[in-house]
Amino acid sequence: MSVVEVDGVWKIFGDKADEAIAAVRNEGLGKPEVLDRFGAIIGVKDASFTVEEGEIFCLMGLSGSGKSTLVRHINRLIEPTTGTIRILGEDIGAMTPEVLRALRAEKIGMVFQNMALLPHRSVRDNIGFALELRGKDAYHRAQLADHALETVSLHGYGDRLPSELSGGMQQRVGLARALAADPEILLMDEPFSALDPLIRRNLQDEFLGLSQNLRKTTIFITHDLDEAIRMGDRIGIMNDGEIVQIGTAEDIVTAPADDYVADFVAGISRLKLVSASKIMVAVENHVARHGPIDDAHDYPTARPEDDLDTLVELSTGTELPVLIRHDGNTVGIVTKDTLLHGLQGTESQ
Amino acid sequence: MSTTAALGGAEPRDVESRDVSVTVFADRNAAYYGSVFERLQKGELPFWHMNLAGLLIPWVWSAWRGVWLMFWVSLALDMVGLVCLMQNFKYGPLLADAHLDPSANAILIERYTRWLGVYNNVGVATLILGRLLIGLQANRWYFRQYSKWRIDGHTAHGVMARRVAIAVLILVLVAPITLYRATQQRIDERACFNQVRAIDGTQRLLSRYGVTEVSDLTSAMNDQRDRLVTEKATLEASASLTDDQKGRLSEIRREVRQLRRENDAVEDFKAVSAKDRFDCLFIDDFPTLARIDPPEDVTYRRVPDEDAIAQGRSGATKVIRQVKDPVEGRTVNIFTYTAESIDIGINFLRAQYAGIFDALTNVLRQSLIRVEVAFMLTPWPVLVGLAMILAWAYCGTGTVVFVGSSLTFLAVFELWQIAMQTMALVVVATAICIFVGLPVGIWMAKNRIANWVTEPILDVMQTIPSLSYLVPAVAFFGISQPPAVLATVVFAIPPMVKLTALGIRQVPQSTKEAALAFGASERQLLTKVELPMAVPSIMAGLNQTIMLALSMATISAFIGAEGLGAIVTAALGDAQAGKGLLAGIAIALVAMVIDRILKGIRSSLSRI
Repeated sequence: MSVVEVDGVWKIFGDKADEAIAAVRNEGLGKPEVLDRFGAIIGVKDASFTVEEGEIFCLMGLSGSGKSTLVRHINRLIEPTTGTIRILGEDIGAMTPEVLRALRAEKIGMVFQNMALLPHRSVRDNIGFALELRGKDAYHRAQLADHALETVSLHGYGDRLPSELSGGMQQRVGLARALAADPEILLMDEPFSALDPLIRRNLQDEFLGLSQNLRKTTIFITHDLDEAIRMGDRIGIMNDGEIVQIGTAEDIVTAPADDYVADFVAGISRLKLVSASKIMVAVENHVARHGPIDDAHDYPTARPEDDLDTLVELSTGTELPVLIRHDGNTVGIVTKDTLLHGLQGTESQ
Repeated sequence: MSTTAALGGAEPRDVESRDVSVTVFADRNAAYYGSVFERLQKGELPFWHMNLAGLLIPWVWSAWRGVWLMFWVSLALDMVGLVCLMQNFKYGPLLADAHLDPSANAILIERYTRWLGVYNNVGVATLILGRLLIGLQANRWYFRQYSKWRIDGHTAHGVMARRVAIAVLILVLVAPITLYRATQQRIDERACFNQVRAIDGTQRLLSRYGVTEVSDLTSAMNDQRDRLVTEKATLEASASLTDDQKGRLSEIRREVRQLRRENDAVEDFKAVSAKDRFDCLFIDDFPTLARIDPPEDVTYRRVPDEDAIAQGRSGATKVIRQVKDPVEGRTVNIFTYTAESIDIGINFLRAQYAGIFDALTNVLRQSLIRVEVAFMLTPWPVLVGLAMILAWAYCGTGTVVFVGSSLTFLAVFELWQIAMQTMALVVVATAICIFVGLPVGIWMAKNRIANWVTEPILDVMQTIPSLSYLVPAVAFFGISQPPAVLATVVFAIPPMVKLTALGIRQVPQSTKEAALAFGASERQLLTKVELPMAVPSIMAGLNQTIMLALSMATISAFIGAEGLGAIVTAALGDAQAGKGLLAGIAIALVAMVIDRILKGIRSSLSRI
């Protein structure tokens, strides 16, 4: 069972939402036409995906692509126009307000781009906010909050006010607040976008480390493909409210679904993303073109899952191609030509 | 016309090069404006550069080209000049009259001559300088319009005969009547009223005598008078008269008098010329000369209910309705009619719901007495000490000194007890403001319709002169403190409501969203997020409310509220400047002490 299942979710803002959906389905109208004819704005267009336990799923898209709108459906801050969302197998659309509040407080933690901390409460009281809403007593609240503070390495800051902390520290508090109630699911809405690059990188690393220990199911929103690639086990790319491609970073970089995605990945360094298996040439083809492999030479070897970075390392200092071996068999060959084309992302001749 | 290229909102327009765009914008004479604009942009246009059309026919030019600001300015300048010159027609005849007897009217002649000289000079100067200004500015304003048009394609551009037609229409509507008014003396206030009365009276007479023409009416009335005079002469001729005959004689005298009045009215009516009617209807006040019968003169009184008392319910009362006979022939205007109706309504409510008003008055009076006792019986050293400790805890040393010396001022001038009466009134009024204002403010912040309804009411409460609702307050709640408290609440509550609503609305959407995302209910959102975050704003509202309540102290003294305000009011009546000033300073000091301490508390709260 997937932790989060999003199935056929549409969100259209405006009074004539239903008519607009029908029109989009039947006539394939685009955003401007829908706005023109129905005065409605397409927020999310037929989104479906699942997130498995412990997985980090990145939703990536430019601003206005509907990713923040989509993630707010998962804790029903926004009601879908149609479609269902199941959390741990339960349809949240059918929940009563009381059950929904319990779900939000206990099962889902959320981190916001602008932190959204309560300025009049101390860091500790901010972190204990969800617990307080559920009626937990002050003593246990403080214990859990301090524990969460330690998790995000802010030990000893509990009595400060949020305004006394730097942006990066505030976002750690935001993260601690999301973790305090030990929820199964983390929703992170561009958590690091507002931070400067160095702190962003720091927090990304720290979050990855944390994530490996805590194994929280995470939906991570970003507009930065580099971040999505660093953080995400899988990536969903959104454009104009629609998820245009879902896959691993390597899938997306090597096989972009359309021009939009291709444009996105054009500037991405492939060194660490693409594996040997994606670029290697079959032995027969190599032999056909360059002649047989001479066993007398000491060929460098690599495994199919090794990335281009490793291959570059192996290829330097030798004229020989790299043999890709799997279970003791040579399954492919990477020549310098192939490697350079692979780095460029173009097909080798 | 080539203006079509310029329409269509934010669509890219084919006017990027300056030559094309000026051609589209100016339409006619584009070459001239192109070069003018270019020189203007380069700063090469000399200051005496003048648009001849702007100098000679500014109204036409500016309307034709859609430079409406210039149209209005030139129209206003020309009208001011012409109105000045028109004074010749107003004072000229008077001057001529005065010249008939120069020795007796020396002062008048001197005065009129001086006035006319000034008017003529100003008029001519305005016309000439105004036109020069317009001529000099025309192209510069036109260039500004061009710059605006390049950003917003809907700005008036090109040339359009329709705009000239509109301008002519405006001129026709504005100019003749304004110039005519300038030639006329101010109309006597009663003149128009008498006119209406003469017309109404004549209409009544016409229908009474059953004639349609006024000349017929006059002869009919003459006949009638002749008959009466004859009859009177006959009666007076006889030596002895019976009682009946004596009665008839006095009746005739009355009728003759009546007839004379009616005759006067008809004469007045005949004297009303079309010009007089026009003057009254168009150049004097707004013509609301409608006269209607006044509302029924009703009073409601609560009296012991004899029937109920007879049935054993002692002290039972009922409301009786007394109607006075209307005054013969009294007609009133709409203002008086409405005002009297309101009076009757207040009278009715007061009698009908006496129990409610009395109970409310009583609650207010009792709570006031309690608070007053608390303030007045607490020894002054205790209160002074408290105030100074508060100042010390929340503010700096400077404030402590200020608070101490202010309170010493009250003590030294023996105003302490009186100041405490004022304080009691302020405290009770402020408490009511908080208990009513806070919920209303929250409601207003959360509900759009509530906001839509409350906003104008609050604006009225803030701007309506307090003296005008003191009278109904007295009608409902009697005199002295209770109505003063309510009047103070009306005056002081708006900032409390508005700043509460503002504070809640200012809570960022993202913060509220975060609270909801962590499972807050609506109530928790309000109590744990919105209200705490609105506290600084609410405190600011409270501060303002207290200041306003204090400033009402003087006004409410008019209806008998005690305290420092009463001294001011009394001093005003007796023209004792010193007394009034000292009491006024005392009020100001009390206000500033409260303000400083509250500000200290506020800043310690909002250090978050």
